[in-house]
Amino acid sequence: MSTGYKRVSGDAVEYEVFARKTRVEPLHQVGSVVAPDDDLAMAYARATYDEERWCEMAIVRKDHVIELWQPGEA
Amino acid sequence: MSLSDLVLSIADNKQMLGLRYAEWATRAPSLEADIAAAAMGLDDLGHSRVLYGCLEPLGADPRGADRESNAASLRNLAYFDEPWSEWSHFVAANAILDSAFTVMIEACVNGSVEVLQHRLRKMLMEERYHFLHGRSWLRSGIDKGPLDRAWREAIEWFGPPDGETALLHREGKLAMGPAELRARLEQQLEMKAPRVEIDWQAWDPVRRRGKPGAIDEHTFGMLRGLEEKKYAPPTAAKQASS
Repeated sequence: MSTGYKRVSGDAVEYEVFARKTRVEPLHQVGSVVAPDDDLAMAYARATYDEERWCEMAIVRKDHVIELWQPGEA
Repeated sequence: MSLSDLVLSIADNKQMLGLRYAEWATRAPSLEADIAAAAMGLDDLGHSRVLYGCLEPLGADPRGADRESNAASLRNLAYFDEPWSEWSHFVAANAILDSAFTVMIEACVNGSVEVLQHRLRKMLMEERYHFLHGRSWLRSGIDKGPLDRAWREAIEWFGPPDGETALLHREGKLAMGPAELRARLEQQLEMKAPRVEIDWQAWDPVRRRGKPGAIDEHTFGMLRGLEEKKYAPPTAAKQASS
């Protein structure tokens, strides 16, 4: 196996994966993936979490989430 | 050559692509890439089953009895003859060849043949993620050798400018001919194909490849179920042979 590939998009980042099974329920977090860009993150999220029959799936970069407070701070 | 021959070629190639993807399910550069290899392998094996199922409604099943004994009767591209030894082989197949098959499926879905319009449409949705995976890894930069080889085999597979694929396009059964298929692939991948000289006189119109050869013995044995029989308990092997 060759492991010498440098990703042009920089270091891999973490993405949170959200999904729901029906329109009436809200999106909820089902897991996360690590990828160097949005395209690969979408492919990885779909491959990793596709066992359920989701009607919607979305991903968001973890560093784009704006935290109001963290555990222990509230 | 007929539309059935083309559909069988897509089916055989997707079956081999699925198997070669699956071989990398524990060898890819990251756990996510392992999972993606396994998932894409399952997708393509599933697609091949759907495509084989289209042969009967198309009216003429071109599969002969020699498929059980002669690996060279399978219509896969030479790229799948041997297991891939490098990750760059995987990426070139994922980005170029998988996308080439998808472009041909798009031509079938947008063509005039009803069974293909209906049964193949869902594949296009699933293939979107194969494309994203392949394009992203391709952009990270891979060896030129496998990339050029995959391009050549894709262009060969689309067929000569005045061959049967072009005829199926003129008849409306395919929404794109060889030139349009190539242009669509280049547009999707946002890159130009390398310059390739193809000797169409030496091209095999049934297997849609210029290079002779066949898949390796181990893979062919597995496809025919021989590997399973070898490891099965004696009673099961006896039942299988009777």
